[in-house]
Amino acid sequence: MIGPLAAGAGRKGFLLLRRGGGLWGIASSAVDSLSRRGGAYRIGVGENAILADEIIGVVDDLLVRPSAGVLGRFWCEPAAGLAIHGELPLVVLDPRHPPGVLRPADDDSNEGDRSA
Amino acid sequence: MRDQLEIPALSGNGGNGNGTRRTSRGMGNHLLVKAGEYVCALPLVSVRRVLRSLTVHPLPGSSPELKGLAEFAGEPLPVLDLARLIGSPPSATPAFPVTIVVWVGPADARELVGLAADSALEVADVSPGSIVAGDGGFIRGEAAIGQEVVRVLHLEALGRES
Repeated sequence: MIGPLAAGAGRKGFLLLRRGGGLWGIASSAVDSLSRRGGAYRIGVGENAILADEIIGVVDDLLVRPSAGVLGRFWCEPAAGLAIHGELPLVVLDPRHPPGVLRPADDDSNEGDRSA
Repeated sequence: MRDQLEIPALSGNGGNGNGTRRTSRGMGNHLLVKAGEYVCALPLVSVRRVLRSLTVHPLPGSSPELKGLAEFAGEPLPVLDLARLIGSPPSATPAFPVTIVVWVGPADARELVGLAADSALEVADVSPGSIVAGDGGFIRGEAAIGQEVVRVLHLEALGRES
């Protein structure tokens, strides 16, 4: 689906995406919109937006593990946790604080979406 | 099924008279691994598994010591570059790279971490009295094993807040 999404609060599962060579997940309930921007995707998350190089799909559930501890010493970004999809490890995003690699540059953040 | 590696102890005594020796019966207390140009000794009690190098997925924005995330036993596993952790110059392309899955951190809050290394060598005895020049951090100190100086690691320190 491209464009405004149905009310997010009741949506289950996680949207999986790739960005910057990494695999990421975000709770579907936090996603407000999805639009295409050239070769990438812009995902509206409340007042924030995140970018994706590729949308992998939606999974019903993920077993999310805490991401504190040693990882936090070497990767200083907020996250909701870690999970495995298939055999692929991924970071589950905190929708309020997406890592820098997923955030649009300032000059992109206020542009209108160009739904595909 | 993953490729779990067998790390045989060397035959022969190899004792050097200072309390540290290559083990002759597989009864050593440390696993020796090559990381860059250095050899490290990891406490066996903290080693859960030695595997052929796991596939690692980079984590954008991480520090150089973190190679990325891997999957181990169905769980996400941070994998650290052991050579970088100990400040070793990188070696040429390793012939037999491994991931050593270890417990780090204090006993009441330990967690699993993967250490990417060039190879797993052998099991050896390292007595506490033979360790010198420790700084109390991740590198507990150095010990002589035969003609070689190895860096003895303190894995509990890796889990501490820096």
